[in-house]
Amino acid sequence: MAQYLGIFVMLVLSTLFALVSWGMSRFAASQRPTAAKEAPFECGIVPAFEPVERFPVRFYLVAMIFIIFDIEVVFLYPWAVIFHQLGRFGLVEMLVFALAVVVAFAYLVSNGALEWGPAKRLRRVESPLVRTTASTVRKVPSSERAA
Amino acid sequence: MTTAVPMTPRIALVTSDPVFAHGVDLTAVLIVVVKVLLAFGLLLVSVILMIWFERKLISDMQNRIGPNRAGPWGLLQTLADGTKLLLKEDLLPERADRVVYRLAPFLAAIPAFLIFTIVPIGGAVHILGHTTLLQVADPPIGILFLLAMSGVGVYGLMLAGWASGSKYPLLGAVRASAQMVSYEAALGLSVVAVVLVTGSLTTSGIVGSQAPHVWNWNVIRLGIVPFVVFLIAATAELNRPPFDLAEGDSELVGGFHTEYTSWLFSMFYLAEFMNTISWSAIMVTLFFGGPDGPVFHVPVLNFLMPIAWFAVKTFAFLFLYVWFRAALPRFRYDQLMNLGWRYLIPISLGWLLVVAGFQISLAVGAATFGAAVLVALVLPRAFAVGKARHEESGGHDFDRVGG
Repeated sequence: MAQYLGIFVMLVLSTLFALVSWGMSRFAASQRPTAAKEAPFECGIVPAFEPVERFPVRFYLVAMIFIIFDIEVVFLYPWAVIFHQLGRFGLVEMLVFALAVVVAFAYLVSNGALEWGPAKRLRRVESPLVRTTASTVRKVPSSERAA
Repeated sequence: MTTAVPMTPRIALVTSDPVFAHGVDLTAVLIVVVKVLLAFGLLLVSVILMIWFERKLISDMQNRIGPNRAGPWGLLQTLADGTKLLLKEDLLPERADRVVYRLAPFLAAIPAFLIFTIVPIGGAVHILGHTTLLQVADPPIGILFLLAMSGVGVYGLMLAGWASGSKYPLLGAVRASAQMVSYEAALGLSVVAVVLVTGSLTTSGIVGSQAPHVWNWNVIRLGIVPFVVFLIAATAELNRPPFDLAEGDSELVGGFHTEYTSWLFSMFYLAEFMNTISWSAIMVTLFFGGPDGPVFHVPVLNFLMPIAWFAVKTFAFLFLYVWFRAALPRFRYDQLMNLGWRYLIPISLGWLLVVAGFQISLAVGAATFGAAVLVALVLPRAFAVGKARHEESGGHDFDRVGG
C-alpha cells in the first residue's frame, strides 16, 4: 500500500489548497448579494420560465448503452494484463465476447437508440414527383388555379 | 489446436517505485512528500504558463497581439486574473443547492491534481541512499486509477450544472455527462491495447516496455489507430474544442459553469487546464515512451535528459490542443455522438482484437484482421436492415422528451 502514499499526500495537499484558497477568497472579497445578482442567468432580463425539469430521455439511453461497453472494458483489462499467458484461448474467448457485444450494439443502433434530433419523426412524402418548379406547379391542376 | 505456447511478459507484471524497497522509513516518506510538493508546484506553475501560452498562441493564430500588459510579454496575466477572481464576490444563485453547488468545483479540481501523480516525468534518481522514480506515486493499478479519476471529474461538471438551478447550466451538464460517458468507452478500449502489449497496469511498467528504441513506442508498435482514438477521446474527455459542448458559449452562455463566480469559477478553470496538461503527459506516457529518448551524455546533468524529453513531448501535445481550438469549429451534438459511438468505439474494439491476434502470431493476426474487416463491412448493412425492419414493424420512435 506504500505506493499509494504519494497519491494520498497529494489528495490532502490539493484539498487543503482548494479549501484554503476558497476561504481566502470568501474572507477577502466583499459579499453584498442582491436579488438581481442572485437571479438565475437570463441575459440580463428577468427569467420568464422555470428551469426545465424534464430533459430528453436519450441522454439516459446513452448512459444505459454505455454500461454495456463499460462492462466490456472492465472485462478487457484483466484479460489484457494476462493475455500473454492465455494465448490463443484468450483471443478466441474475447472474440466470442466481442461478437456478442457487437450484435447487441447493432441491434441498439438499428432501433434508433443513437438517433438525435427531431428529423427522425419527419417522413418523406410518398410522391413520385421530383421537386422542381415545374412539378410543384403541376401538382395543382391548371383548371383550379386562380385566374 | 495445440496448447498455447507459454509466453512470458517482457517485463515484470508489477513494477513499483523502489523508494520503498527497504520498507517504509522516515526518509522514504520524506522523499515522497518532497516529490508531492514539487509536483504540486510544477502543476500550478505550468497551469499559469499554459493559460498564458494558449491565449498568446491563439492571438497569433488569429492575427491579434493577445495579453501584453501584465509583466514581460504578458506573462503575469494569469496571476493578475487569478488575483482578480480571488477578490470577486462569491454568489449563490437563489435556486441553487447550497452544498452541492459549492462541492462541485472541488470535485472537478481535486481529481485534476491527482491524475498527474501517476505520470513518470523522468528516470530513476538516487537521493539520500534511496533510489526513486521521478513520479509521485506508482500504484500497481496506475491505469485504472487514471480512468477512475477521469470518471470522478465528470461528477464535478454534472453536479455543478444540476446544482445551479438554472437552465443553461443544466443543459451543459446533461450534455457533458452524456459526452464524457460516450468517449470514456472509446478511451478505455484504446488504453486496453496499450495494456495488452505491455502486460502491466503501472505507468512505470508501460514506459519501461517502450524503451529503448523509437520504433518500440506504443504509437508505432500498436499501429497508429489506438493513439488517434485516444487523442480524440481525450480531447472529448477534457471538454476542449472541438468537443466543448458542455460550455458551448454560443448557445449555452457558459454551460455548466454559467452561474459560477469568483474562486469557485476559477477552480473549474484550473481543473480544465490542469487536466489538459495531465492528459498530454498521459498521452506521452502511454504512446510516446514517456521520458524515453536519445540521451546525449552530459556529465552531472545526465538525469535531466529524460525530463527534457518528457517536457518537449508534452509541450508538443499542449501546442496541438491549442491548435485544435484555433482551427476546428465545434461539433454539432448528433455529430459528436455519432463519431463516438458509430466510429471510435467499433474501431478501437476491432483494432484491439487485431493487435491481440498479432501478439500470438502473424497468421492469427492476419485472420483476426480479415474478420475485423468483414465485420466492419457487414455492420453498416446490419444497421440499415435493422432500421428498415424496425420501421416496417411500425416500431415507435422514442419520444424526444417522454421516452
